[in-house]
Amino acid sequence: MRLFSRIAIRLAATLIVLMSLWAVLFYFAMADQIHDEVDDALEDYTTLIITRKLAGRELPNAGDGSNNTFTITPVSADYARRHSHYRYHDESVYIPEKREYEPARVITTIFNDAEGQYYELKVSTPSFEKADLFSAVLLWIVALYVLLLLITVGITMLIFYRNMRPLYILLEWLDSYHPGVNPKPINNPTRITEFKRLNVALQSAIDRSEQMLERQTQFIGNASHELQTPLAIIGNRVEWLLDESKLTDEQAMELYKINKTLSRAVRLNKTLLLLTKIENSQFIETSQVDLVAIVSETVESLSEIYISRQIKFTTDLPSKFEVQMNESLASTLVTNLIKNVYVHSEQGVEARAAIVGRKLIVENQGREMLDREHIFERFYQGSQRETSMGLGLALVAAICRHYNINIEYSFVNGSHRFEIDFAE
Amino acid sequence: MKILIIEDDSSLREIMSRALRQEKFTVETASTFAEADSKLAGYNYDCILLDIMLPDGNGLQLLEHIRALGKRENVIIVSARNAIEDRVQGLDLGADDYLPKPFHTAELVARVRSVLRRGRSGGELKIEIGNVSLSPSSRQVKVEGQELSLLKKEFDILLYFMQRPAHMIDKTMLAESVWGDYVDDTDNFQFVYAQIKNLRRKLADAKASIEISSVYGFGYKLIEKSA
Repeated sequence: MRLFSRIAIRLAATLIVLMSLWAVLFYFAMADQIHDEVDDALEDYTTLIITRKLAGRELPNAGDGSNNTFTITPVSADYARRHSHYRYHDESVYIPEKREYEPARVITTIFNDAEGQYYELKVSTPSFEKADLFSAVLLWIVALYVLLLLITVGITMLIFYRNMRPLYILLEWLDSYHPGVNPKPINNPTRITEFKRLNVALQSAIDRSEQMLERQTQFIGNASHELQTPLAIIGNRVEWLLDESKLTDEQAMELYKINKTLSRAVRLNKTLLLLTKIENSQFIETSQVDLVAIVSETVESLSEIYISRQIKFTTDLPSKFEVQMNESLASTLVTNLIKNVYVHSEQGVEARAAIVGRKLIVENQGREMLDREHIFERFYQGSQRETSMGLGLALVAAICRHYNINIEYSFVNGSHRFEIDFAE
Repeated sequence: MKILIIEDDSSLREIMSRALRQEKFTVETASTFAEADSKLAGYNYDCILLDIMLPDGNGLQLLEHIRALGKRENVIIVSARNAIEDRVQGLDLGADDYLPKPFHTAELVARVRSVLRRGRSGGELKIEIGNVSLSPSSRQVKVEGQELSLLKKEFDILLYFMQRPAHMIDKTMLAESVWGDYVDDTDNFQFVYAQIKNLRRKLADAKASIEISSVYGFGYKLIEKSA
């Protein structure tokens, strides 16, 4: 959810609560005010009637258009004592002129004439329809709400995007950032302190992580490099023993095994150096490389070496497919991808390498999908195989990253499938 | 044949000189840039093995210096840095070969032999052992003057053995150098056995005086048959 959508929703929700509260208060205040006015008018009218009655003058006519009605009832002194005050209440009154019941405000009071006779005077005047008032208030409140919301959201949006622009510039910059690929410095001039600090913090965080990455790469590079000489020495001493001494078969076999293990260490070391070099972008020279030639040669060699695995490898290649790459990296890429098939698949499965359009596809039958998240990581071992180092696909991925080539793994119809897209 | 080894690691220096002395070369060593420089000023060598990274200087500078002195020594650069730029720069400066660490002793000896042979014969690299002669450039093998036809891999294997006669070569080493990078995850060497079997049969059929004998069950050695 975008920050602004969230702000808009929150604003709308807050406004709806506030406006509802406001509507309730407004309604009651309004009703109260109206009652007040009506009550005053009723009181005046009552005084008028009483005055006229006591003076013996003509009482106001019922049909004078004011819709007011009144009744004068003689009451006992006792009743009068108990109901001596003005009493107000609401009730439905039949208005003969309109021939319908209407809500009315009623005042009841007591007065006495010169003879000491008590009367109860009941005056009613048509009041307002509460439901009408309520719906009127509701309508206007809703209208106000919509208007306010539009204005508020509009203004907020304007202010938000004006002031948040540095944030979006930063986000864009972050999107364009790839670890290890020399980032350009953040160019995001702003007068807002928070964004200034964010700029500085982000720049220094990225610088630090770049430094760490570089140091790590350098460390692996240096460590592998420093290992070369000792590895050479051990290997040469073992070879010397094998070559020059009279050994029993067991001793010789033991030395051979040491040597085999050592070659694994040497290979591992070389691969790490190669990875480091790719990541340091030390393969600058590129040329037009024909992948078809590399694929067919690789398949031919590997099918010879892994003849015991009886893998049915078919190829589906055009006559030529050239890409602009470093030749040795192109070869490493293809070799590792295809060797992966031979090393990791089960005996006798079918496999295929194809070039379709600008895509190189390598697939082989397998049992289950590999962990898509991790297969391109260093030292990931899907099926544990002693002689495998788990660096082949890491190399492939590093080369693809280096050239911005898209590589995808999928598991389709019981086959592992690697697709490399050399899109131009 | 006099060889100068310029290498700062004492253990590696010892191994290299031992291996070369065994091949009847005269070996001298230098462990620093300065020592190498003074030896080069005073003596002539047939071949110089040069480590690029020296404690007190860069081997490439030494190479420039050697060429500036107008010396015609064969130079093989030995380096732990497998960087292509180093290799290209080294060869540009007139090195004859480039041997990346770690290397097999047999490889070292073969490279030294190869540059010395090239130096002597002006580019022709023919190797002769017993009644077999092999020419790497034209990829021809002759037994008693009769051409022996070999498949590509068979030829590569024979070349590898003829460059390292009388040394034990184990099957991993052989597979790695003949089949290259493809081979590094394999633990089944059926493909090597098959090729060796064919090569042995062809050599025997042609009545070659050399044969590839098995050693310890995992290695091979090229030997001259005693008549």
